[in-house]
Amino acid sequence: MNEDSETSAPQAMVRNSQRVTNVPKKNLIRRMEPIYWLGPAFLLIAGVVIMPVAFMVWTSFRNIDTVGFDHGFAGLASYRNLFALPDLRPVIIRTIVWLISVVSATMLIALPLAVLLNRQFPGRRAVRMALVAPWATSVFMTAIIFRWMLQPQSGLINIVGHALGLLHNIGLTSAQADWLGRPQSAFVWMIIVAIFVSLPFTTYTLLAGMQAIPGDIYEAAKVDGASAWRSFRAITMPLLKPAAVVALLINLMNVFNSFPIIWEMTRGGPGDQTATSTVFMYQLKSSSIPMAAAMSVVNFVVVAVIVIMFLRFSNWKERTI
Amino acid sequence: MKGKEESMKKRIAITVSLAMITSVLGVSASSFGAVTAKSNAPKVTITVLGADYGSGPSNTTSKYWLNIAKGFMKLYPNVTVKTSTINWNDYNTKVTAQIQNKNYPDILQGEFFPQYVSDGLLYPLSKVLSNPGAGSPVFKSSFSVNNVQYAMPFVTSARAMFYNKKLFAQAKISAPPTTWAQLLTDAKAIAKLGKIGYSLPLGPEEAQAESYLWMLGSGGGWQNAQGKYTINSAANLKAFAFLKQLVASGATNPNPATWNRTADSAKAFANGQVGMEFNGPFLTATIASAGVLKTSDYATAAIPGAAGPVIKTLGVADAIQVFKSSAAKLPWIKKFMDYATNNANQLAFAHEYALLPGTVSALNSLKNDPILGSFVKALPHTVLFPSSANWTSSVLPAIKIQIGTAVTGNASAVLGQLQTLATGG
Repeated sequence: MNEDSETSAPQAMVRNSQRVTNVPKKNLIRRMEPIYWLGPAFLLIAGVVIMPVAFMVWTSFRNIDTVGFDHGFAGLASYRNLFALPDLRPVIIRTIVWLISVVSATMLIALPLAVLLNRQFPGRRAVRMALVAPWATSVFMTAIIFRWMLQPQSGLINIVGHALGLLHNIGLTSAQADWLGRPQSAFVWMIIVAIFVSLPFTTYTLLAGMQAIPGDIYEAAKVDGASAWRSFRAITMPLLKPAAVVALLINLMNVFNSFPIIWEMTRGGPGDQTATSTVFMYQLKSSSIPMAAAMSVVNFVVVAVIVIMFLRFSNWKERTI
Repeated sequence: MKGKEESMKKRIAITVSLAMITSVLGVSASSFGAVTAKSNAPKVTITVLGADYGSGPSNTTSKYWLNIAKGFMKLYPNVTVKTSTINWNDYNTKVTAQIQNKNYPDILQGEFFPQYVSDGLLYPLSKVLSNPGAGSPVFKSSFSVNNVQYAMPFVTSARAMFYNKKLFAQAKISAPPTTWAQLLTDAKAIAKLGKIGYSLPLGPEEAQAESYLWMLGSGGGWQNAQGKYTINSAANLKAFAFLKQLVASGATNPNPATWNRTADSAKAFANGQVGMEFNGPFLTATIASAGVLKTSDYATAAIPGAAGPVIKTLGVADAIQVFKSSAAKLPWIKKFMDYATNNANQLAFAHEYALLPGTVSALNSLKNDPILGSFVKALPHTVLFPSSANWTSSVLPAIKIQIGTAVTGNASAVLGQLQTLATGG
């Protein structure tokens, strides 16, 4: 159905343009109307999205020094140098771990939270408001606060952990309390912060999806004698799928591109041992612009794949509903 | 080859003629300025971007520059001086970003970037200072490209080992160590007191200096005498093997790669938490402001080496360099440079941050200073950071990020990767 209307539109345009000479001026202006409406948006996209992307790809093929001067075409040299870096592999693996752990944990925690918030209970409004807080706060601020809480000598997490007997000693000489100094523990903490920051959006998307499910379906199920668990599995889960997939894909994009949490908490360090490919790209920039551009192109391809998945899915949703 | 030479000659000819034009214009502009300084001198804005040597808002270097700007603008009301400073932790990242975006300041204080010269961005010093030889000659070659000096040492320092005499007494150590083996024993003894035996700041702020001081201890360095990079030389690997042993013994701060010189190491020493650390005279200012240690509680000694003390310590100079702008602006910039580097301003800086000044005359006046005097005397006997074009532009940023991981991971892989970057172009 869709396809029919899509193919007929350009044909109509062709036919129209052939007759353009005979058309009175007024009509021409009216037929150009979509351009006036779409024009600004198109210019914006061209200027803010397409041009920088093109420039980024172009940069990755040039020999540009760190001061920003262009010394000519370099072919695939930057890509070759990038893929020859021994640190690239661990960075890619870390990015995949980061993506999967943050997104799956977020989804798994957000689902029961959304179910809870969909119920009537005293103080629900307050809980809903509280859940917005990590979303409303700047991610950068959240990351700084966590960094302070993890400070070896006087960070809140260390003091509480010490008081509870979980940490044997805190202070400057304690390796245990220096969470952000060790790559593994720093990475785990950053994953926790990323989950904390992603939860509100995910929960609210799922909650909106649940509220869109008509109440009479549940009533009918109740009449038929379905248990709460059964109606959750047979009604909520399948009807929530569109919202869940949207939440999943948007999270994938956000988490992949996530920069402030990692940058503020560890700057990707020690070395690049807590850097994801996005942070690694920024680290590379200080010693080689074209290599950083090449890394950006790789990142861009990954994001593009996620976006295409997203678009295909939203298309599928339109067709089924 | 011949073609290249010819084009070189042409380029030189063009530069020379350009220089003549600018100097002619410069002279006319300055004489114009002198005559009509009070009536209708041209409105000029000079932007200064500097590094921040302060430890917080109370002693930020912005204040120092603001004072200079105010003093200068009083003398020359037609000139507006805009100043800003960048924290040393982000210095490379931020300056690089600003320069990459072609947003050049008129005057840049901090690191000297020979790459800017190759890209034709800087004025030679002879154009922007009335006395181009005012700066300490120790750093002349470091700040020169093809024998032309492009930056003046604005602030300098030499490094020594600071040690906490109180902790040494508690750990029953009679004299500061002169060899690595002694340092390891002493550091372990101090660590037993629950303090940091040796503080090893290999975090991004100044990992290049800390690692260099250890490399010198085993006869290594960033480059050999011919100016070729030797980052993964056997001597350097020996130094890192020792550091690895030192860190593994638990006698240092736990994670050297994230431990920075000012925010972590100096602060911990000033709070009496550290037995030994390599640092510059500025540590005395941090100690004084913390108010925990008295002057009699700490002392300095030579940097220990593998077999004996390091004879030539590290001398560090931070530069001041001028970006090319218009011929009309040049005379005013020159006036400002002369003003900003006069004795009063140089000494004010030195006393504020317990650093050494960069000019010969200011340095000479400090020879008998109780704190800075010994550092002034050490300055002529120092080794310096490399002055290769790619040092500050690509090698240094990578060292700052990576080298700290060499003391926990595979040192030869980390140093090898840096060597490849340095020599690979």
